[in-house]
Amino acid sequence: MSYKIAVVGDQDTITGFALAGATYTHIHTAREETLAKLNEFFASGEIGLVLITHRVAEEFGFDFRQMLRTKGLLPLVLRIPDKTGYMPKVDELRKIIRRTVGAEIMVKKEGL
Amino acid sequence: MAMALAVAPTRMELLKLRQRVGLAQKGYDLLKEKMDALVIEFFEVLKRIQEARPKALEQLSVAHRALSMCFAIVGTLETKQASKETKRELQVDVSTRHIMGIAVPAVEVGEVERNALIRGYGLHMTSSVLDEASKKFERALKLLIELAEFEESAFAIAREFEKTKRRVNALEYILIPRLKEAIKFIMMRLDEMERENFSRLKRIKAMLEERE
Repeated sequence: MSYKIAVVGDQDTITGFALAGATYTHIHTAREETLAKLNEFFASGEIGLVLITHRVAEEFGFDFRQMLRTKGLLPLVLRIPDKTGYMPKVDELRKIIRRTVGAEIMVKKEGL
Repeated sequence: MAMALAVAPTRMELLKLRQRVGLAQKGYDLLKEKMDALVIEFFEVLKRIQEARPKALEQLSVAHRALSMCFAIVGTLETKQASKETKRELQVDVSTRHIMGIAVPAVEVGEVERNALIRGYGLHMTSSVLDEASKKFERALKLLIELAEFEESAFAIAREFEKTKRRVNALEYILIPRLKEAIKFIMMRLDEMERENFSRLKRIKAMLEERE
C-alpha cells in the first residue's frame, strides 16, 4: 500500500520538507490546533509517516506519548531535530531500552 | 511465601494440579525462549538504527543549512511560495513484516530525489540555490524514512518484549509457586490422613484385643 507523508514542526522544517515532496504539513503555533491536526493525521488511513520535530513533540509530552501508545502500526512516527538541531537530553529509545532490558546499554561506537 | 490456592485435598485434585504445573512450566520455557529471541532481534534493529541515525541527522542539518542559504539568497517569501508550488506527492510503500509474531513495518521508498524540472515550482524567479536545498531535503527525507522504519520496529519489539516479560514473571513468581504450594498442601494433608487412619486402626485393634 502506498501512503503519504505528513510533517509537523516549525516554518523552516515545513518549507524544507514541502520542497522535498511531503504531502501534508502543519506549522505548529497553537496547541489545540496542532493537537487536532495530529489526531487527524493519526486517524486518516492514508498517511504512512509523520515527522514531528522534537520541540513540538516535547511540548505535547504526555498527550503525544498517549497517542503513540494507542496508534496502530501506522502511521510511523519519527521525531526529528529542527534547524537548530534541537534534541532532548533523554532519548526516547534509550528510555525504552532501560525499561525493558532493565539495564543501560551503551554500544561502543558512540553514534546515538 | 506464595499463597496456596484453595483446593480440596484429594488425590484427584493433586493429579490435576501436577498437570497444571507441567503445563505452566512448559509455557514458561517457551516464553523464556521467545524473550531471548526478541532480545537478539532487538539488538539487531538497534545496530541498524545506530548506523542510520547519524547519517540521517547529518543530512538533515546539511539540508537545513542549504535552506537557510536559500532563504537568504532567494528570499523567504519566494522560497515559501516555491514550496507551495512544489508537487507534494511523495509516496511510501508500507507493508508489514512479522518477527516472532510481531508486526513490524517494512517501508519501501522509490526515488525521492527529483529533477528540478519535475518538482513543480517555476524555474523563472527561482535559483539553483533553491534546487540545491530541495535536493538536500529530498535526500534527508529518504534517510529519515528508513530510520523511521527501524525506530518503529525497535519500539514494536520493545513493547512485545515488555509484555512477554510480564507474562514470564507472572508464571515464574506467582502461578507456578502457588501451584507448587497447593501440591505440597495436598500431599501433607493426605499424609496426615494416612497417619490418622493408621493410629485409628491401631486403636481399634487394641480395643478388640481387650474385649477378648
